Amino acid sequence: METPLREPTFLILTALAREPMHGYAIIGEVAALSAGRLSLRPGTLYGALDRLTDAGLVELDREETVDGRLRRYYRLSPSGDATLAAETERLRHNVEAATARLRARRIQPLAPRTVGGLA
Amino acid sequence: MTELERRYRRLLRAYPADYRRDRGDEIVGTYLDLAIAERRWPSLADAADLLRGGLRQRLRAAGATDLIPGVRLAGLLALTTAAFLAGFWAGVEPNGPNPEWNVPSFGPFVSVGVIAWFAWLAPALLMLFAPGRPTRAAIAVALLATAALPVVSGLAGSPRPPLYALAPQFALGVLALAVVDRLPLPARALPSVAALTGIGTSLLVIGQGTYWGWYGWTAEQVLPVTGTVLLVIALLLAIGLGMRRDGRGAWSVLALLTPVGLLNVHLLAGAVNGLTSGAPRPTYPTLLVTAVAVALIGPALLPAAVALRGRYDTGRARPIEPCPTCGARR
Repeated sequence: METPLREPTFLILTALAREPMHGYAIIGEVAALSAGRLSLRPGTLYGALDRLTDAGLVELDREETVDGRLRRYYRLSPSGDATLAAETERLRHNVEAATARLRARRIQPLAPRTVGGLA
Repeated sequence: MTELERRYRRLLRAYPADYRRDRGDEIVGTYLDLAIAERRWPSLADAADLLRGGLRQRLRAAGATDLIPGVRLAGLLALTTAAFLAGFWAGVEPNGPNPEWNVPSFGPFVSVGVIAWFAWLAPALLMLFAPGRPTRAAIAVALLATAALPVVSGLAGSPRPPLYALAPQFALGVLALAVVDRLPLPARALPSVAALTGIGTSLLVIGQGTYWGWYGWTAEQVLPVTGTVLLVIALLLAIGLGMRRDGRGAWSVLALLTPVGLLNVHLLAGAVNGLTSGAPRPTYPTLLVTAVAVALIGPALLPAAVALRGRYDTGRARPIEPCPTCGARR
């Protein structure tokens, strides 16, 4: 799978990091993780799950039938766990770098530049 | 089975039959879980999601997952080429005929084409600052402006650019609608740079006095050269990406064949006429028949290639995994 991961992929893997989940639960979890900003639809979700399964990042955990509806649970594979950890580390590094720069900027406001010579 | 479920299952036909058997219950079950109690029809967004998912799955089953990214790559090349041509013609248009000659014109411009060429400069610029929906909306406006030129010309009683200059621009524009949203700055800058290059080229041509005021001769020179350059760049990209086992380039070449064929319609029609009657220049009927043939055959190449790939490359289709609980293969 290509890295850096796209945001929906990152959030699907993050949702599955806690426990195996079925499609409906993943959609809810991704919406919660993104504070309601990202709303996956089933066609998109299952396409993404197929790609993640092909890439070996996600595995089928078990099947259940609830109220006559088939539910498949998916879990993070060891490779998915490693990919999510590496991506999280990359993002953490970027966030820390940006935070440090912003903090320094607030502590030491940029001095106004002197343009031209003295009159 | 409720009416809503039946309607979702009808939309599910967008997916290949094998996939429907394997995942249909799960996908429809999730839609039903998400639906509010009183809903009776799938929403438009759900229908679009299912159709998109079905198309992706069919391409995946045919081993053509690179097709959509390939068409998006072709979209960028098409927008860049359309911007170059628009820049070139926008530079030509202000050089209308001398009013004393009493030659038909569109005010100070050569033709009503100036409306479309300036409309095409907008998406080239927007691509730089606002890629995505604003750029696609501007492309749609430019497409409408291009398509409306024959009508505007009739209403205004002013000349228009020849159809063999408008047809490839329209084909490039349709493909440009597929341009990808998220691109690095150098790629987003390509259409703007191409438009400036087009303006510069036209000024150079006019400055050398080789331009004599109408599209005919100029279009016969510029369009085939532009089409050939576009084809060569697309082929080089395809070879480069193919060496990295990336099939996007090959699909983009296939997608670009229609505009490339329309840009070279003079050469193709000339070849047909040369073979059949030995005429030195293509006749208007041959030009028309050749353009229609290119416009019909070109777009059919992509689905034909997908079907061929699916037939000879079925081994790439995802094997259906056994159920981890009972071990059964659906």
